[in-house]
Amino acid sequence: MMRIGAATAALLITVGASSSSAYLKLGASVNGRVVDATWRQQPIGYFISNRDGNGVTAGDLRGAVERATATWSAVPAANVRFEFVAMTTAPPDGTDARNTIGFLDRPDLDRVLGATSFMVDTATGSIFEADIFFNTRFLFSVAPGGQEGRVDLESVALHELGHLLGLGHSAIGETERSGTGARRVIGSGAVMFPIALSAGTVSDRVLQADDRAGLSDLYPSASAVLDSGGIVGRVTKNGQGVRGAHIIALNPESGVLIGNFTLNDSGEFVIARLPPGPYILRVEPLDDAEPDSFFTAAIDTDFRVTYAPRMVVAPRGGSSPSIEIRVLPK
Amino acid sequence: MIRALALMACVLLPVLAAAQDGPALRPGHAMVDASLVWAGGYDVGSATAQLRGNAPGATAPPFTLLRADSRVTPASAALIRVGVALTRTVAIELSASRARPRIGVAISADAEAPVQQLPGETLQQYQFEGGLNWQLPIRAGRMVPFVSIGGGHLRQLHEDRTLAETGQVYYAGGGARYWLRGGTGASGPWPLGVRSDLRMTLRRKGIDFENTMRTYLSVSLALFIGL
Repeated sequence: MMRIGAATAALLITVGASSSSAYLKLGASVNGRVVDATWRQQPIGYFISNRDGNGVTAGDLRGAVERATATWSAVPAANVRFEFVAMTTAPPDGTDARNTIGFLDRPDLDRVLGATSFMVDTATGSIFEADIFFNTRFLFSVAPGGQEGRVDLESVALHELGHLLGLGHSAIGETERSGTGARRVIGSGAVMFPIALSAGTVSDRVLQADDRAGLSDLYPSASAVLDSGGIVGRVTKNGQGVRGAHIIALNPESGVLIGNFTLNDSGEFVIARLPPGPYILRVEPLDDAEPDSFFTAAIDTDFRVTYAPRMVVAPRGGSSPSIEIRVLPK
Repeated sequence: MIRALALMACVLLPVLAAAQDGPALRPGHAMVDASLVWAGGYDVGSATAQLRGNAPGATAPPFTLLRADSRVTPASAALIRVGVALTRTVAIELSASRARPRIGVAISADAEAPVQQLPGETLQQYQFEGGLNWQLPIRAGRMVPFVSIGGGHLRQLHEDRTLAETGQVYYAGGGARYWLRGGTGASGPWPLGVRSDLRMTLRRKGIDFENTMRTYLSVSLALFIGL
């Protein structure tokens, strides 16, 4: 049952700079407690707005969204299903109890490729409506191998559908500042990284381990709970917890990279749904994207990249003992 | 190892003698020894954390986030061995050992952090082996050389004791027994002596991030007693 005072939120994927977002998973405050915002009813039905975009048609958008939903649905350790309902004349905004995906003219958002907005039941944390828009300010493409100078629509759709499912942004990526001050991605380890790859690139059509782990954490399959493990710990500086530290777990056997953040003032973190095995832990300040792409509250970025002194095992079906990682100020 | 065996042969050659009258195993009798083993270190794999590069097309070169080279450090072990002589020169042996090696990790190629060696984790390692020991028909006084070959089971437990990894070990080597007492007849006091082994071990599986066969040398010194 829904409450009347449902909350809304918007998530944006940007080029060059980012806007608002959260962390690995989106949270909803329910009775003073933060719970995961997820869909409780599936399949998740969606409408495609019948307006053409810049360089692509509404039919192209439908095809790109179908491929992107199939990609998320194919994650073996998670249970998500989508269903195309119909084309619609309605734009992808407003509150109409429909999940609508389409193009919008948003010249004011000159660095935003697309965005997702939500209606969340504040009594349960259940998402009951979400819309995704793609900004007609940008020239899109659905060419199988990409098209130089055009943004790959399927890649952006895959990212936005991740938000629609309840995922926040991942920080597994590296950026550099361009002459204009905008950030350019030089390496990305997640489709959910907040800054898009360059136009013409199609590699964001493929989910990465971090994306799959996040989805599995939100919608775990029965086997995922038994066949994965977690690592828990705490990041401290001068004996105090560090909020907003980014922890990357590297499996030295598979090369898998999965990350998460310390989410409270105690500096505690949990990295869930890891393939079982030992991991090297690297802690870094959140300085490769704007912190407000991830957190609304202030975070600590004044510390050096630090490694956990030893590997930590994510045991099958359980979690590691807590490990403390001490960082030093820059 | 070849160099070490050659050295051992050079030491023994001047004093070699026929072994018929020297110390020998007692067929049907057991021999128990307690050893201190020192095993060399070996690599267990390198991992490069790579991010997808940002360039049009599907072949953009990856971005290296870091490189980690892992290595099991040299460690000492305690070993208990039981052998039963089949003939005066051949014995079958079973052994169990426990060691606590560390896995150290060397970090490099991290643009935001210096090259560094992480202390690593301490493993609990158990080896259960079986093999054949052949006492060579040569001796130097009360010292008799032997060669040995065998294999066994490896079990390695990570520091948090939440994950055990298993594998196999195969070894070949040689050494010598020096009888402090007995060993020359079917009766008399229980034989007592010291034994030294030098082995090359081939390790398969266990903790290894590349699932590759690894080799390492080990040496041991034991006090044995015949039953």
